[in-house]
Amino acid sequence: MNNSLFTQLLDLACGAFLLAAVVVLWRRELAAIVRLFALQGLALAAIALLLGLHEDRWDLIVVAAGIGALRASLLPYLIRRALDALVADRTRDQDGARAYTYSEEVRETEPLVNVAASLLTAAALTLLAYAVARPLVELDPTPATRALPVGLAVVLIGFFVLVTRRRALAQVVGFLLLDNGITATAFLAASGVPLIVELGVSFDVLLAVLVLQLLTARVREAFGTTDIDDLRELHD
Amino acid sequence: MSVIPAALATATALGVAGAVAGLVLPQRVRSAVVGVLTAGVGVAGGTAGVAALGGSRWAAEVPGLLPLAGTHLAVDALSGLFMAVAGAVVAAVAVYGVGYVAGHGSHGAHGLGSRGAQALLPLFALSLLLVPAAASVSTFLLLWELMALTSLLLVLAEHRARPAVREAAVWYAVMTHLGLVLLLAGLMVYAAQAGGETFAALRAGTAGISPTVRGLVFVLTAVAFTSKAGLVPLHAWLPRAHPESPSAVSALMSAAMVNLGVYGLVRVGFDLLGGGPAWWWLLVMAMGGLSAVYGILQAAMASDLKRLLAYSTSENMGLVVLGVGAAGLFAHAGDKALAGLALAAALLHVVNHSAFKALLFTGAGSVLRATGERNLDLLGGLRARMPVTAGLFAVGALGAVALPPGNGFISEWLLLQSMIHGLAVPGVTMAIVLPLAVAVIALSAGLAAAVFVKALGVGFFARPRAVGAAAAKESPPLMLAGMGLLAAGCATLALVPGLLGEGLDRAVAAVGFAGTQPVSGGGLQVRLHDVSAQLSPLWVVAALMVALVMVTATAGWAARRRQRRTQARLWDCGGGAPTPRMAYTATSFAEPLQRVFDDVLAPEQDVDVTPVRESAYLVERVKFRNRVPDRIEHRLYRPVLGFLATAGQSARRLAGGSVHAYLGYGFFGLVTLLLVLVVGW
Amino acid sequence: MNTVGYTAIALQVGAVAAGAPLLTGLMRQTRALLEGRAGAGLLQPWRDMRKLLRKEPITPVGTGPAFRWAPPLLVATSLVLAVLVPLVSTVTPVHARADLIVVVALLALGTLALALAGLDTGTAFGGMGASREMTIAALVEPTILMSVFALSIPAGSTNLPVIVAGAVDQPARLTSPAGLLAIAALSVAVLAESGRLPVDNPSTHLELTMVHEAMVLEYAGPDLALVEFGAQLRLAVLLGLLASLFAPWGIATSASLTAVLLALLLVVLKVALLGMALAAAEVFWAKLRLFRVPELLAGSFLLALLAVTASYFLGGER
Repeated sequence: MNNSLFTQLLDLACGAFLLAAVVVLWRRELAAIVRLFALQGLALAAIALLLGLHEDRWDLIVVAAGIGALRASLLPYLIRRALDALVADRTRDQDGARAYTYSEEVRETEPLVNVAASLLTAAALTLLAYAVARPLVELDPTPATRALPVGLAVVLIGFFVLVTRRRALAQVVGFLLLDNGITATAFLAASGVPLIVELGVSFDVLLAVLVLQLLTARVREAFGTTDIDDLRELHD
Repeated sequence: MSVIPAALATATALGVAGAVAGLVLPQRVRSAVVGVLTAGVGVAGGTAGVAALGGSRWAAEVPGLLPLAGTHLAVDALSGLFMAVAGAVVAAVAVYGVGYVAGHGSHGAHGLGSRGAQALLPLFALSLLLVPAAASVSTFLLLWELMALTSLLLVLAEHRARPAVREAAVWYAVMTHLGLVLLLAGLMVYAAQAGGETFAALRAGTAGISPTVRGLVFVLTAVAFTSKAGLVPLHAWLPRAHPESPSAVSALMSAAMVNLGVYGLVRVGFDLLGGGPAWWWLLVMAMGGLSAVYGILQAAMASDLKRLLAYSTSENMGLVVLGVGAAGLFAHAGDKALAGLALAAALLHVVNHSAFKALLFTGAGSVLRATGERNLDLLGGLRARMPVTAGLFAVGALGAVALPPGNGFISEWLLLQSMIHGLAVPGVTMAIVLPLAVAVIALSAGLAAAVFVKALGVGFFARPRAVGAAAAKESPPLMLAGMGLLAAGCATLALVPGLLGEGLDRAVAAVGFAGTQPVSGGGLQVRLHDVSAQLSPLWVVAALMVALVMVTATAGWAARRRQRRTQARLWDCGGGAPTPRMAYTATSFAEPLQRVFDDVLAPEQDVDVTPVRESAYLVERVKFRNRVPDRIEHRLYRPVLGFLATAGQSARRLAGGSVHAYLGYGFFGLVTLLLVLVVGW
Repeated sequence: MNTVGYTAIALQVGAVAAGAPLLTGLMRQTRALLEGRAGAGLLQPWRDMRKLLRKEPITPVGTGPAFRWAPPLLVATSLVLAVLVPLVSTVTPVHARADLIVVVALLALGTLALALAGLDTGTAFGGMGASREMTIAALVEPTILMSVFALSIPAGSTNLPVIVAGAVDQPARLTSPAGLLAIAALSVAVLAESGRLPVDNPSTHLELTMVHEAMVLEYAGPDLALVEFGAQLRLAVLLGLLASLFAPWGIATSASLTAVLLALLLVVLKVALLGMALAAAEVFWAKLRLFRVPELLAGSFLLALLAVTASYFLGGER
């Protein structure tokens, strides 16, 4: 694969990766957010694949396939199932008040920071990521390291989602964005971590999602909503 | 060579003569004579400025005039630019002022026509012209204070008519003198470190001063100067003093006095200190950007026409200072040509802003005089009653919205070009600051369009919404003449900015940047390294005119037969002719923006529902109140004022009323000082 | 060279003026077919215009020069834009003056004229439309200038023909992340500037949702014809601008008559395709609430800002 084509494709994949994170802030429907997360998983897999092809490393290609399977299909599927469980539960006993809370449940109706401000914050975070990554990039300016700020930006945006969104599932996605960002940073900075570490991390993430999925169901059963602000009640 | 001293001497003589005339002449002829003399001050000062812009320089020392230090004066192209602007504004506003005072029994005019105010007006005008000519710290501070005091007293001119004037004057007095204290401290430290108090000595001594002290001097003076320029967060005096002072004075303050804040910043920052590290200029840019956006947002919310214009001054000075900061940043990065371009853009915007803002304030003054009303919600319909004023106001508004046939567009275009091309300068700071600066300029330009559509459309168009506006009459010819002069200035700046080309270049060169000749010939050309851009305002206007003629001609031809336009009732979706009460007011016009920027503006809304006595469900009266307070002022000034008030209360305990105690304080103070001296040395 | 240049301009302006109503007709027809209606045909906007122009000109009582002159001014700004924007050729006699910031400012001037006219009527609807339009216009400005910034970085100039010619020379500029982000951002800004869905619904007359239509409610006869023509011209020029910026292939970069004619054919095709795609998309879109529009614009501003930073940081050499 020639160099300029590689650079372009890599930049495109990174662009899609960042864009998916940004659009997560934009959308309110949890279903759409999950779809975007799957899309981001694909972009991440593409980054790994491109790096693998460029450096002729088969292990990276295998990792890319693994990432694709886990982050673009399995994790979104699990979150989707949790979401559907919420919906199914609500439609079963659809009296007036409940039907109302149902519509609240599948949408991030009122994030702590409104959407327009979230988007502007994302812009600021991206600028910050670029500024912070500048010295790192200058150590070894290859096309891959030059895209490093994208990974950092996604980490920051993921953290921001975690801080400002109310729904438990949106938070799960925020956590996963953060993890995606870390993985991407690792790939772009050092062409990935050893296979065994990658496996461990993936397994960890999978477990975390499963646990959070269970937790979400419990939270809803206890409080009738997944708005995690209500967890404050546990304090008293 | 001899033009400048002669002109300055004439201006001073006329100014003093005007002050004397204002004091001694009887009311009948007072305003006419003072007006003519003040206009003379303006013309003479403007001549000196133009001569300096044309390349002459002049410096002089008058040892005996001031004790200890003597008076130092010097005029270079940079001073010339500010003197020319101030001179032109003073001349036009003086003509306007004669008409403004002349009408008897009209609203608020007696304040400016009084003996004291008429004596102060020429002195204020003179101080505006002389501040840029000062060439030593003591001369500068003296003239600066003369300007502050005369303007303060002029702000007070109408204090009998409205109690709000007094409060505004207190704010202005306190803030302008806090600024003076900072300036005094900064320049004193500078002079002490540099070993001389003339500007030449300061310039020569800068190299030997440690960077920390230089930074301290810059921060102190920059805060003082930006406060004078009305920049956030030290802007609080501006939206108070400008609306409450007589309109001619507001025009002078807003179009000539605030400029001197920029002058001071450029003179001290670039010329004397010779530029500085990046953080100075980042600080300046942050203040500029914040004021630009915050000022125009507050202007968008304001219903008071003069308050709106005052906040718009804050915005425009913000843009200017943004340009100055960018120039400093480019100079720090070593790109002199780009720094010259940014500074030229900022200075051109100063000129443009003065032209349109003086016109807008005088226009607002005419409206106030004709209707007794500054509240846009209660105006309307003036287009039919004061057609010339409305037309002239529209010319000013066109300049303020920064769109093509207006003069403001040209300088904002240059400013944008300097920012866009600045990305070629290496550095992460540039890559982050410049896009943000472009966004700030764009947002403030967009909001400015909404603001002036509101001012013009709601204030002058449609039908009158109150008695005052319905009874309005066109202003007397002298006022219109003054405004006409300003409008002609706007049009000239808009169509042939090239006239300023060389002068602007010399002004930029005077502070050490070889200019790039950005404004030359009829059009504007920016040429930097391998990059070029071009704007031809004259061509754009001509093309628009041709297209307009073609469109009307074609439409007329397509209609086949010539038909007379017939009048018909307003349709209003079948609602029939609406009453003026149904029209959109300034408040309702601004409501969507208020909602969009809810988080920034934090408006206060109360709804009082009074039910009928018999039933809680029937409503007798609903009272709705919507206020957009100045949030920065709230957050920043309240705590400080509160703290001062508490401190003052507790200090009362010291003043128990005993004379012995008071004498004792003095005694202890003296003894302590001596002890410190003994121990310390 | 000059003859060809002037021919190119004349062809371009002629094509825009004649084609703008046809473009609107095409878009309405596409929409009608997709919705299962027969549609009024491509020529309907022209027929409407002929009908309106022949009606008696009417001035509502209490309106003034702003109301009277806004429609011709709107059309005039759009025509000047049609001269400036390089649709057919990048080597025209005006190529040095075609600055992208001027183009943006002229667009805003047209908007401003109509808003003033809306306020001049003194009706509640006129004021409402003007207020909403200016709110949107104020918020679009940062997005659009930031896209201008992003586009001007690779070319090193804000001059439109230079940008377009540069993109023809190096198509890679367009497929870079910066280029794609700038396309997305500018497209949203164009939707807002031309008053299309999801920002404003051009075919609504429902009081609470109107923006553009509310401002022009009082116009009738020839004035209305000009207002509609102006809006059509704006849409055509803006779509043409998008086509030239992001799919510049085929535009004449030399002064040859055949190239110009070919470019004319291509640009008509590109704009027609864009228009049909937009019309098809509009079938599936709903109008956004007015107070959701800032979110959309904040999003597109973010894209534009990312485009600027991406082109700087991924740019390499600097």
